[in-house]
Amino acid sequence: MRNYILRRIVQIIPVFLGIIFILFFIFEQAPGTPVSNMMHPRMTPEQKAELEEKLGLDIPWYKRFINYIKEAAQGNLGYSNTHKKPVAEVIKDYSGPTLLLASVSLIISISVGIPAGIVSAAKQYSITDNLLTVVSLIGISIPSFFFGLLLLKAFAVDIQLFPLFGLKDPLLMSDNIFDKTKDVAWHLVLPSIVLCLNSTASFMRYTRSSMLEVINQDYIRTARAKGLKEKTIIYRHAFRNGMLPIITLLSFWIPLLLSGAVVTESIFSLPGLGKISVEAAMARNYPLILGINSMLAILTLISSLVADILYAAADPRIRYD
Amino acid sequence: MRMRKLLPLFLLLMMAAVIITGCTQSSQTAAPQADIEPPADDEPPADEPKGEQILRYGASGFNGIFNPIMFENIYDGYISNIIFEKLITHTPEAEFVPAIAEWSLSEDNLTYTFTLKDGIKFSDGTDLTAKDVAFTYMTIAHPSYDGPNAHAVSNLEGYEEYHGKETETFEGIQVIDEKNISFTFKDGMAAPANIECFDYGIMPSDYYAFETWEDFLALIDKPMGSGIMTLDSYEPKQFILLKNNTNYWDPENGAQIDGVLINEVPDESILSALQAGQIDFAQISSSAENLEAAKAMDNINISNYIGNGYTFMCFNTTKPSLGDVRVRQALMHALDRESFIKVQYGEGLGAVGMVPISPASWAFPDISELNPYSFDMEKAAQLMDEAGWLMGPDGYRYKDNQKLTLSWLIYTEAAWPGTLSGMAADTWKQLGVDLSIELMDGNSVIARTIGPEPGKKDFDIYALGFSLEIDPDPTGFLFDDDACVAGGFNASGYKNSEAMDLVRAGKIEFDMEKRAEIYKEWAKIMNEEIPHVIIAYRSEIWGINKRVNDMLIDTYATWDLSLKNVTLD
Repeated sequence: MRNYILRRIVQIIPVFLGIIFILFFIFEQAPGTPVSNMMHPRMTPEQKAELEEKLGLDIPWYKRFINYIKEAAQGNLGYSNTHKKPVAEVIKDYSGPTLLLASVSLIISISVGIPAGIVSAAKQYSITDNLLTVVSLIGISIPSFFFGLLLLKAFAVDIQLFPLFGLKDPLLMSDNIFDKTKDVAWHLVLPSIVLCLNSTASFMRYTRSSMLEVINQDYIRTARAKGLKEKTIIYRHAFRNGMLPIITLLSFWIPLLLSGAVVTESIFSLPGLGKISVEAAMARNYPLILGINSMLAILTLISSLVADILYAAADPRIRYD
Repeated sequence: MRMRKLLPLFLLLMMAAVIITGCTQSSQTAAPQADIEPPADDEPPADEPKGEQILRYGASGFNGIFNPIMFENIYDGYISNIIFEKLITHTPEAEFVPAIAEWSLSEDNLTYTFTLKDGIKFSDGTDLTAKDVAFTYMTIAHPSYDGPNAHAVSNLEGYEEYHGKETETFEGIQVIDEKNISFTFKDGMAAPANIECFDYGIMPSDYYAFETWEDFLALIDKPMGSGIMTLDSYEPKQFILLKNNTNYWDPENGAQIDGVLINEVPDESILSALQAGQIDFAQISSSAENLEAAKAMDNINISNYIGNGYTFMCFNTTKPSLGDVRVRQALMHALDRESFIKVQYGEGLGAVGMVPISPASWAFPDISELNPYSFDMEKAAQLMDEAGWLMGPDGYRYKDNQKLTLSWLIYTEAAWPGTLSGMAADTWKQLGVDLSIELMDGNSVIARTIGPEPGKKDFDIYALGFSLEIDPDPTGFLFDDDACVAGGFNASGYKNSEAMDLVRAGKIEFDMEKRAEIYKEWAKIMNEEIPHVIIAYRSEIWGINKRVNDMLIDTYATWDLSLKNVTLD
């Protein structure tokens, strides 16, 4: 097991380098430079050229790639020209709200979606099952921008219950940690509902179908024939096997959530990674796009490793040697 | 065996820990601002703290560059204009007037001497002197400077030497004494538009003093100036809170409100936020529906004015077809811009473009002398025939067996180029033009049009919008022969020495009346030749809550200009 993990970690390095290389290559193909965005009418072509030189854009891209790797290995992710700040600092500034929103919605969707899926599978075709199925299909189908705007219209404009934008009230003068938490929580209610709706529904659907598959297998029938309690069958025998696809799903979902829910973030004006990565792509802010993408690449690689290890835990038949 | 069971548990715990630390980190970012006031006892989050008059603005696009010489967009510019003060300012009528300094211009029109007013202090209480003015301008000229304003100092005497590290001093900037400073332009560079170079906020030299450029950039979101407000707190992509500068040096002319709260509000929510009263004012994207919706709100006043800018379409005149002025004119006659404006902006929210000067400017010619290129398919067909492009049997026009094909690069960030090209695809088809449309992002359009050297530009038509400076001088712009280079704005490849003589004459003419005449003459040539055609002058709409008094937003007046006068009910 330990060898396996070590081997996998070593494998991450070339994969990661490959990802960065591909990203570099794609950016090289995109026309335009960060400077072409700064179109001050009185700026001369020479002054533009000087700025490009200062950003190191006159160096061929493969050399820039090597420099980037060298610097990144020492923890320097470069400099975000739009923010005039180091990339690491920009990512730090914006990842807080994304992490907060992602973890809230992940916790809610796991704790609601998985149990709902199990109940739904255990009582297949019952009223509860049908009801949950309808709700989850609505959840999967409704586009988040539409649902988000709908919620805003209803609960922030018509009934002014929740704030329309932002993560906290800047004019809140209280120093009390409880008040502040309450303020942030209040701001997060609507965006989390939007973000949760889709993920909860997905978790529920996946859990339901994978549980159903397991429940129909022979060994469950054997367990039933043995006269075990239904609860024991579902939660001890079926759930453990039914969890495997959920682990896979989770390992995809975590990097996905952290990449920032672009739509949700922009509708609710939350300062997150999704929003700035779109802006960075538009402004040809290469170091920032690279920084965010490298972070996501590492997260994806690590969570797939974690998922593989969790498989072994969930299913004793899986052994890594 | 045991190890294998414990490891996953450990990993799960790690993941949980990541998630939890994620939470605490963000609650930490939520923490600063504690130092504003002593804690209020368990007060519910009130919309407005006791009696504080906070003006609330909503927009999106702030990058956190709160520095007068570094900001790149108008949003960061607002913040900088409030926190810093400039040597000069301008009136809503686009006239430059003294702000914190009076100026005089030498006989040869090359040297501007500024005399600072008495008692100007930065918000930390230190004096603003000529040294700080020199520091600000020398920073723009600094070898490491990577902001967009090098053009403000590059025409000053000795710029190349100082910027190229040959000299320690900048010859063109002379500190005379504590209160007086002079700026000398290079020989032959005298121009009335030079006054725009003094439109930058003055930075305190002690506070911003830097060893390396990184030191300077580290202060970019910690601004300090002499303006009516100071930065109280800033959360990226959330809000910027400006509070009254309690040390303002001219208390009688300070702000009458206690602060400005700038909220990051996405475009989709601007109208709702205005309606719900969560913001006091905001720009509303110009469209008929938005204007209707805003008019229907009983808490909102609307400010509607012609913006200082235009949208234009560039013809690549190096192509054989578009090199012929009759083809360009035919294409314009076959484009129904009246309908386009109605469809895209709505009635009364735009005007058909004529010349590359804002209709609000003193240099705008008499409209009756201009050709509006009204929609006239017959005229268009006639012009095409005259140019030798004759209708073929397949419905397309041909000349020397060449089909009339055009490709138009459309950027998708804004809706109007798509609408316009869609209309053109219909009417130009009737005219016999085979038009293909390529969609891409704005940066790609620029890279294919303005970017390459002349002769290597791979496009027929592109369209873009520009905002203008206050001075109408078009040097270096769309119509400048000298800007017809790689990276230069004149991508059309069109050159006209007669027009250029006018541009050069207008640039250096100090007599305003003569200058206006020169530009009017020049504008008429461009209206006839249309290498770049001005499509529309767009209106801008702002919604302002009725509780806000005395805020003026107009073509040449952004909201920060009238902030001193603003009061709240």
